[in-house]
Amino acid sequence: MISSDVIRGYIDTMILYLLLNNPSYGYEISKKIRELTDEKYIIKETTLYSAFKRMESNGYIEAFSGDETYGKPRTYYRITESGKSYYNEKCEEWKLTKEVIEKFIVKENNDEYY
Amino acid sequence: MNIIKNYLDNMFLGLPETEDVNRAKKELLAMMEDKYNELKNSGKTENEAIGIVISEFGNLDELAETLGIKEALENKPDINHVSYEEAENYIEDSRNISPKTALGVFLCIMSPTILLLLLGLNESGFIQIKEERLVAAGLAALIALVAAGVSYFIRYSSKLEKYEYLEKNVFELDYRTEQMIRNVMAQYEHSYKSTVNTSVILYIFSALPIILTPLLFEIDELTIISVAVTLTIVAFATYNLISKGGIKEACDVLLQQGDYSVETKSNKTWQLISKVFWLAIVAVYLAYSFITNKWGISWVIWPVAGIMYTIISIVAQEKQ
Repeated sequence: MISSDVIRGYIDTMILYLLLNNPSYGYEISKKIRELTDEKYIIKETTLYSAFKRMESNGYIEAFSGDETYGKPRTYYRITESGKSYYNEKCEEWKLTKEVIEKFIVKENNDEYY
Repeated sequence: MNIIKNYLDNMFLGLPETEDVNRAKKELLAMMEDKYNELKNSGKTENEAIGIVISEFGNLDELAETLGIKEALENKPDINHVSYEEAENYIEDSRNISPKTALGVFLCIMSPTILLLLLGLNESGFIQIKEERLVAAGLAALIALVAAGVSYFIRYSSKLEKYEYLEKNVFELDYRTEQMIRNVMAQYEHSYKSTVNTSVILYIFSALPIILTPLLFEIDELTIISVAVTLTIVAFATYNLISKGGIKEACDVLLQQGDYSVETKSNKTWQLISKVFWLAIVAVYLAYSFITNKWGISWVIWPVAGIMYTIISIVAQEKQ
């Protein structure tokens, strides 16, 4: 079970990654997150929507109404240039974070502390 | 699908309807519908699909800041949460208590029958006792039955008083509780319908003794007895209806449908109108009857008021 506190800081990263190549819409993004993580992380609708809103106001993504599916117009999101550079920043940040935290995690194969 | 929409409506109930809020609601609904459709297509039953969608919805608090509804969420005074246990207790208490209040009503309706019977038997010559004594005995029986009925009625209906807030306030249920109530309702619906049918048939037949007695027997005095028979039939029909209606009513209250819908509850003007309406009718009835002494005809106000009330309520709901 993933603690939502830990993952919160990287939800934007996950969404931006999924938008890198194609615009997408709410359910598709939540479905891809579920599939990519082998259902280890299932994003709540409210979490996803609040991330959309937050990134929209920060200028990382843009909303536009797209094709009609099932007869109703859908809101699509596309990544902006500043969204892309934010994504790259977050990737760097995560590498660093991972490196740092990793120092404090007991390795499973040998119980020696680093 | 309606359940999902209702769920979302309930979550958003009482929040300011700003453009942001409406847009959020629309998009959340779209996401939930997409998920629901896909789950259905992958072979899940409707109940499973709804269960998953609702359990993965999340919490509106997450949106509080982005939507500028933080304050509104914190001050959602009208929205209470009714727990599974509360709902279960309410249904159980209604189930137990409604036969008892029904008995109270039954006794009240039956109260004049002994007096009528004694008078009828006396006038038609079956028994010969002084009329004053008969009246005294009949009245004593009447008062005793009314007293018993009313005390029964008050004692038991007061046990449901603690649930009054369910009838008056808007509240929300979680998915599991709502399913439980819908199950109770579904199990019960069939027998309730046959109960209503039986009672309606009894009500219609209850007129027969009064109509037929003068035609079949040429003894005028029997008419009094036939009134007693009619009252007995009405009493049984009413008992049947009230004792079985408790659960249906409880479910309506909990699911906030029919007379207890969110719209009706939040329509304060309508609540006021309905209160004032019946008080006014009572006042008119009593004033007219006492002044003109035409008690024989003034009762007509009741069925007329009933119809008027229904019409006004339809108009009031429509306007909303």
